[in-house]
Amino acid sequence: MTNPIKRVPILSRKGFLVKGSQVTLRNVSKHFGEFCAVRDVSLEIAKGEFFSLLGPSGCGKTTILRIVAGFEDPTQGDVLLDGASVLSLPSNKRHVNTVFQSYALFPHLSVFENVAFPLRLKKTAASEISDRVGHYLRLVKLDSHMSKMPAQLSGGQKQRVAIARALINEPSVLLLDEPLSALDAKLRQHMLIELDAIHDEVGITFIYVTHDQQEAISVSDRVAVMNEGSVLQVGAPGQVYETPANHFIATFIGETNLLEGKVLSVKNGIAMISSDAGALRAAARQGVSEGDTVHCAVRPEKVRISKMKPASGEHENCVEGTVDEMIYTGFLTKFFVKTTSGTVFKAFRQEAGAAAAEEAIQCGDSVYLLWHPADAFIVEVKKA
Amino acid sequence: MRRNLGPVYTMPMALWITAFFVVPIAIIAVCSFLAKGTYGGVIGRFSLDAYASLANSGLAVVALKTLVQSAAATIFTLVLAIPASYYIARSRYKNALLFLVIIPFWTNFLIRIYAWIAILGTNGFLNGFLVSTGVLSTPVQFLYNQYAVITVLVYTYLPFAILPLYATIEKFDFTLIEAAQDLGATKTQAMMRVLLPNIRPGIITAILFTFIPAFGQYAVPQLVGGRDSFMLGNIIARELTVSRNLPLSSSISVVLTLVTMAGVLLFVKLQAKASKKIRPVQEAE
Amino acid sequence: MARDKKHMSLFAFTATMVFFYAPLLVLVLFSFNASKTMTWSGFSLRWYNELFFGSRDLWRALGNSAIIALTSASVSALLGTLAAIGMYWYNFRLKKYVEISSFLPLIIPEIIIGVSLLIMFGVVGMPLGLGTIFIAHTTFCLPYAMLIVSSRLDEFDYSIVEAAYDLGATEPQALLRVIVPVSMPGIIAAFLVSITLSLEDFVITFFVAGPGSSTLPLHIYSMIRFGVSPVINALSVMLMAASVVLAFSTRGLVKYVAKG
Repeated sequence: MTNPIKRVPILSRKGFLVKGSQVTLRNVSKHFGEFCAVRDVSLEIAKGEFFSLLGPSGCGKTTILRIVAGFEDPTQGDVLLDGASVLSLPSNKRHVNTVFQSYALFPHLSVFENVAFPLRLKKTAASEISDRVGHYLRLVKLDSHMSKMPAQLSGGQKQRVAIARALINEPSVLLLDEPLSALDAKLRQHMLIELDAIHDEVGITFIYVTHDQQEAISVSDRVAVMNEGSVLQVGAPGQVYETPANHFIATFIGETNLLEGKVLSVKNGIAMISSDAGALRAAARQGVSEGDTVHCAVRPEKVRISKMKPASGEHENCVEGTVDEMIYTGFLTKFFVKTTSGTVFKAFRQEAGAAAAEEAIQCGDSVYLLWHPADAFIVEVKKA
Repeated sequence: MRRNLGPVYTMPMALWITAFFVVPIAIIAVCSFLAKGTYGGVIGRFSLDAYASLANSGLAVVALKTLVQSAAATIFTLVLAIPASYYIARSRYKNALLFLVIIPFWTNFLIRIYAWIAILGTNGFLNGFLVSTGVLSTPVQFLYNQYAVITVLVYTYLPFAILPLYATIEKFDFTLIEAAQDLGATKTQAMMRVLLPNIRPGIITAILFTFIPAFGQYAVPQLVGGRDSFMLGNIIARELTVSRNLPLSSSISVVLTLVTMAGVLLFVKLQAKASKKIRPVQEAE
Repeated sequence: MARDKKHMSLFAFTATMVFFYAPLLVLVLFSFNASKTMTWSGFSLRWYNELFFGSRDLWRALGNSAIIALTSASVSALLGTLAAIGMYWYNFRLKKYVEISSFLPLIIPEIIIGVSLLIMFGVVGMPLGLGTIFIAHTTFCLPYAMLIVSSRLDEFDYSIVEAAYDLGATEPQALLRVIVPVSMPGIIAAFLVSITLSLEDFVITFFVAGPGSSTLPLHIYSMIRFGVSPVINALSVMLMAASVVLAFSTRGLVKYVAKG
């Protein structure tokens, strides 16, 4: 921190002290021979932000992380930390540390020595080493396993060691490469909460790479959705989920019913669309006008399913169909409804229990699917 | 990114191998195209004499013998090794049995050949036993023929065949045999149609580990073979040290090297086809 | 039906065991034979007596073998390790050349390596002796050493090296504090295998050895050529016993190498 300007402490969203660096990617591209892994990506990641790069495997998110870490050079573009380019710095000189997907723990060193590794390199005094290693192992709740070897640890514990080791140099940015992918579902949930807590505690910038939309939207301040090397949308998790920028994001994040149709009219921000499933109304986004072909999306959990024909169909969209299949998952039931036009529609109903006295629906029943126009959104527009 | 340290780390070995392997082989290759000096050695004149005398019938017979003897040794080795490694892989005491296979090979290679001389020689154990029990009236020479060479070759290379075969059979999913039998195959059919195709990589490795070194043998025919069972390796040595015909010795070496390389290449190709096991390529994410 | 098959593989296994052990048992038995012939004529330790007290040349040859094995295995393990690291994790020009030229010695007949080295030593006028044997042994051990260390590296992701750099290590630090310790079981295995190969080698040594530089296998060869001798029987038993003792006494080491 050679910055001459005295840094004013900033508080994060949740009111914690922010210490990290601002990370800027300027028009970064990376080619591996013919293959273009990253295509002209520009990102601005704020100090102390928990920022996620989300996308399917092979989308270039890990390459971006490796470029920031210094393991790869971008073919084009620049990477800046707090406004200064770091491209000329090798990875061991960047104030950035990485939690590797495979954990990359040194198999010949104990937990303590793994975490102490960076300090030993710097010939830090023994007393200081044990203080600092102790502090970070407490942070990840592993202080009772200090003398174990990596091979004796469970996946979750290895993960914690990797995090403690990456934090001990007090980097200004922590890069996490699919850190939870090797853990089972339950542990993943738990580690996610702890990661969030660790982020609050250390207050530095986290760049988190994942292909799991659940992970990304549950802990991040902002998410960048990527596909085929490009960033498609950057925004808060709610924003990305509720108003996906395109077809890909709508289907990649969460489950979606997609309907293609033609815009008949646009009135008061609501577009009237004619589709195979009948006339629909959906929130029109900017630039949608009469005659356009659009993809209209509605999340299954926002679709109500009922055997009774609604009294007035005026304020809601209504589609008729028969239940083709239903999957009971415990806390909710997924209905797959075949509409009269042949499209299969998904509707999720949460099982509220006996008190809610829900009507019983069975396979083969004729049902009505209802949803509010504001819950339907237009994701892709082909101009007329 | 960082400096490429690959050449720095690799340099010492690369220089060593170049100086003491590549250069000597190159010298042989050059010598094979030179004319023979009067008192051994070569004279610096281009000549194809050495290769011309390769076509000489005597050498062709040796080459054929070499091929037949090493092929026979390979077949006998496999016939023993496949069922034996199957037995080990299915046994409850795999490790102990595997250990039994390895132990005899802790003793020196020449001693193992010598054991056969001590048994099969005219003054050997077998003759002594047969004469004293009255089966034979006079000792018979069991040594110095191609059967002795093949026997000792099998003895030498059998463990090298058992180990890779064991490794593949051990990984084989034996429920497939049950599945085949469930579908109506007899035990033999299940073995031939399910087990063998699935352990093909192991079989190819076993052939590679047996045939290739047997083909380039020198010591075994030298010690237990006779004139009729000498192999190419023995001729190379004889031409060099006895006949002092450096070009001819070199040209046989060149041919033996090329044939061996072609053989290995063939097996490696077959292997790749058989296992189709491609090392996972790191995904560029 | 199933029993038949089991019997067949059991038969093959038993035949293999008999085939393996019978010759060695004959050697052990006749090493205690009182007469020089291969017919039993009573128990005696005279051949052991002759082996230990009447075979000066044999012990000198053993000493030579030990010197060659230790030196060539050390050099092979060192150069092989460095090359494995360089080849495994980096790409560079001529890598293909190194790959091929270090693979070929594994498949080319020993006699060719021996003969070609003999001819080259003749060309450069290098006197044959322990020096040329050391060079030859290092040459054929090196490819094995590199291969063994490489297969050890194969078990680790390059990310541990990246992690070392990421955590602030310089190149020498990453080499000495991470790569070498992690490869240690492979390095030790490479050393042990090289020692074995060197002690075992007869063919190549036969061509590059000079007068007075006999190794144990060369000495055994000359004894065998001389004819059947009960001293070889006694020597065989001692060598087998030594291998078993060595194998058991280094069990811990072998386990460490195997487990990593």
